[in-house]
Amino acid sequence: MSTQENKKPLSLLQGTLDLLILRILAAGSQHGQGIARAIQQSSEEDLLVEHGALYPALQRLEVRGWISAKWGTSSNNRTARFYSLTAVGRKQLLKETAKWKRQAAAIGRILSLAEEG
Amino acid sequence: MFRRRRQDSDFSAEVEAHIQHESERLREQGLSDAEARAAARRAFGNVMQAEERFHESGRWQWGDQLWQDLRFSLRMLAKNPGFAAVAVITLALGIAINATMFSLVSAFLLRRPPGREPERVVVISTVNPVPGFQTDATPVSAPNYISWKAASKCFVDVTAGDPNRRVSLTVENQPESVRSAAISPNYFDVLGVSPEIGRTFLISEDQPGQDHVAILSHDLWERRFGSDPSVVGRTIRVNRENYDVVGVMPKDFQLLGYTTQVWTPLVINTADQSPAARNDRSLYMFARLKPNVTVEQARAEAVTVARRTADAFPESEKGWGVAVRTLPDFLIYDFSISTGLAILMTTVGFVLLIACANVAGLLLARAAGRRKELAIRISLGAGRLRVVRQLLTEGLVIAVLGGGTGLLLAYWGINFMRASLSFNEAISAVPFRLDWNVLLYALGISIVCAVLCGVAPALNAARTDINTNLKDESRAASAGRSQTRLRTVMVVGEIALALLLLVGTGLLIRAISDVHNQNLGFRADSLLTVSFRLDDARYKGAAKQIAFVNDVIRHVEQIPGAETAAVTSDLPATGASSVTLRVKGQQDLPTNQRMTALDFVVSTDYFRAAGIPLLRGRTFTETDVAATPSVVMVNQEFVHRILQDQEPLGKQIGLVVSGAPSQWSEIVGVVGNVKTYSEGTEDDPEVYEAFLQRPVGSMSLMVRSSSDPNGLASALRNAVAQVDAELPLSGLMSMRAVIEYQKGGNPFFMGVLGTFAVMALILAGIGIYGLVSYSVGQRRHEFGIRMALGATGSDVLRMILWQGIKMTAAGVAIGTLLALPLPRVFDSLFFGIHVREPWLYFIVVAITILMVAMVATFVPARRAQSIDPMTALRVE
Repeated sequence: MSTQENKKPLSLLQGTLDLLILRILAAGSQHGQGIARAIQQSSEEDLLVEHGALYPALQRLEVRGWISAKWGTSSNNRTARFYSLTAVGRKQLLKETAKWKRQAAAIGRILSLAEEG
Repeated sequence: MFRRRRQDSDFSAEVEAHIQHESERLREQGLSDAEARAAARRAFGNVMQAEERFHESGRWQWGDQLWQDLRFSLRMLAKNPGFAAVAVITLALGIAINATMFSLVSAFLLRRPPGREPERVVVISTVNPVPGFQTDATPVSAPNYISWKAASKCFVDVTAGDPNRRVSLTVENQPESVRSAAISPNYFDVLGVSPEIGRTFLISEDQPGQDHVAILSHDLWERRFGSDPSVVGRTIRVNRENYDVVGVMPKDFQLLGYTTQVWTPLVINTADQSPAARNDRSLYMFARLKPNVTVEQARAEAVTVARRTADAFPESEKGWGVAVRTLPDFLIYDFSISTGLAILMTTVGFVLLIACANVAGLLLARAAGRRKELAIRISLGAGRLRVVRQLLTEGLVIAVLGGGTGLLLAYWGINFMRASLSFNEAISAVPFRLDWNVLLYALGISIVCAVLCGVAPALNAARTDINTNLKDESRAASAGRSQTRLRTVMVVGEIALALLLLVGTGLLIRAISDVHNQNLGFRADSLLTVSFRLDDARYKGAAKQIAFVNDVIRHVEQIPGAETAAVTSDLPATGASSVTLRVKGQQDLPTNQRMTALDFVVSTDYFRAAGIPLLRGRTFTETDVAATPSVVMVNQEFVHRILQDQEPLGKQIGLVVSGAPSQWSEIVGVVGNVKTYSEGTEDDPEVYEAFLQRPVGSMSLMVRSSSDPNGLASALRNAVAQVDAELPLSGLMSMRAVIEYQKGGNPFFMGVLGTFAVMALILAGIGIYGLVSYSVGQRRHEFGIRMALGATGSDVLRMILWQGIKMTAAGVAIGTLLALPLPRVFDSLFFGIHVREPWLYFIVVAITILMVAMVATFVPARRAQSIDPMTALRVE
């Protein structure tokens, strides 16, 4: 087993993309490409996001009212659609984060148990 | 909150912005322009798919996709014109016969009777305690009408009418016998209709002396008076008396089953209120309910009132009941067409189901050929729902095309039906056509067909497994289990339905043709008949009536080609009126349990003319006149049922005519049974009285001829005119024609049912053929393997045939179970019809279906036999 293979970026777990988007936007408004980069960078390139998959997710969150969007100008003077978190979205982020942490902790406990055994 | 939907272009711009941002970042890392852009696109993934996904959440998606699906379906159909034609024509036929039959339902059952709020009008009839055909729709006697009207509190107003009269109408010296109704002056007010021109009757016009007024039907007004509005106020001759025309009813005023041409006032005189008149039941009571009074309340009241009457007049009323129905219900019940229509609709419904199964089978087979296409479409990003919708749309397109073609065919079908049903004036008086009801119904069943046809392939597609299908599909050795099950269910269902239809139709046709071909008990060939009524104005008293009859018979027998002539109160096998009787020496029974017999009054030569065989004793002679002892003749059934097979000759019986017991009459002869109705199989006791001893005014004349009876028609008319030029004749036709007329729609009904059943069999055969050959095509690979492993061609053939037999047997078993109660159901549904040897039909039909199924299986199975294992395994 080569290390190369272990370093290959992981695909996102189902349903986690929404959570990641909300988390990125909590730091301030961002456009789609920025969100994609932010996910990759923050995860130290461990997570791979198919950029195309991002947009339906953004659309979904917008329809739910968790994020809002408006056209603006990016740092390098290009127009882009900027997304920002709404109040509802912020609440949702807290809820989802708590849930995720509990889940991860639970799974981690089981897995470490298996390792020790 | 109002949220504006994003435009597609807005989304495209966003995607473009993303690509630019990303490629810029990559350029900064040192990639070339082109490389950066390509990498950015790669990282983005499928741009089209993302746009599509966005687009699909849009609001126009549904209509847009429907349009796309429609265009695609039409393209697919155009590419397979053979498939399209078969599918569309199959459904068109099914929908056409359904729409055609439904036009009858629409005309007879769904049409509201004319008048204001017809469902608030009730019809009161009496219930005859003697079992028979629709005995609970017997008319009411005049005394009961008067007392019930006075006693009722549920009604705004009550009226009565006798719709079954005939009058002679003379316009410009042309006598004609027309249907008329005698009605109380408030009749039209109770029904809530107004005349087209003129007025209805005045309250005083039911008094003798003021009653010579008449109202014409629109039809008669058009036909005899050229729609001349000045007819109101004119004088016409009705029954040789002058009547003033006071009004004309509108065109659409005709109650279902009624063909009244002239309405005259109903006069109830003192004689009509005598105890004897209680047995003359000829009036229907129509009453409008008071607001907030229900039909149930009216019924309860009527029952109470009728019970009081029965207690007061046990002699004539014991056992008689009362029935209350709303006007629409009564008319439909009295017309008694519902049962026939229900059977026709069930039949055509089943044919349509089989047609749908066939088209579904075709679509299924085609969908299988398109599995790869569907798999590709799904892997390219089409949602499963989308594919299902596409297939349902194809079903819809076929159904709509079939429905349109079907309506066109139905238009002709309805015209054909109208032409075929014109033999019956009551039926042809009801206009049936391609109306809104029929259009809506056709639309409805087309949609049902679309769902039925499209759902099987769509379900199948929803389960499409992309991976197996994208790989060479022939690697799947045989069709999936669910598919096989679906096909089996369809074949078994088709066979079961076809069997049910064939058995049902066979039983009905057998029963009807039994009646059709039965020995009526007299010789109906070479008989010419005509009916007339000797009016009181000219023929008052027995002597005048006897003189007229003798005169006419003498004249008629002089016609070249005429052999024997006779008169009778009722033509044989046309349902004579019945008479209550007593037998001397037998204990008197309570009134309601007294014996009855069909009563004929006949002239001397009647039995010779009609060809009814004399079995014992003698027939009437010229010497059986009023002055000599009263004599009667009876039939065998009379001897058997009423005399319990005792010696009949010399027995004395008393006929209760008009309530008053008459004198004793001696039985002098026994003749063979004549059927009560030519359209039924039952024999009833019959008693014949001598015309010379008890003449009647209303009669039919019959002449036996040595050649075609219709050739004597004008000579007969002249012979009667020589005796009385003004006497209106009705029903001048051969006895055969009378019988045909009486059978009503039965032979037609038989033909229609037979056609549908054969259609069902052919459709089921085609369906089985289609499904089996499809399945053989699907299993080529499997057969290839089997043969490569050593199975011979005939092994494969046997296997397929065996599977076919198993499916057919299951279908036959289910169909037989469903059809088992049919003989009993038909016996109870149709008056006078009895199905003999029903098991014969089950066997014959089962064998027929087995044979058709075997042929339908064998032809495609032979193709499997000739499969070359190498080719089948190598290519798909």
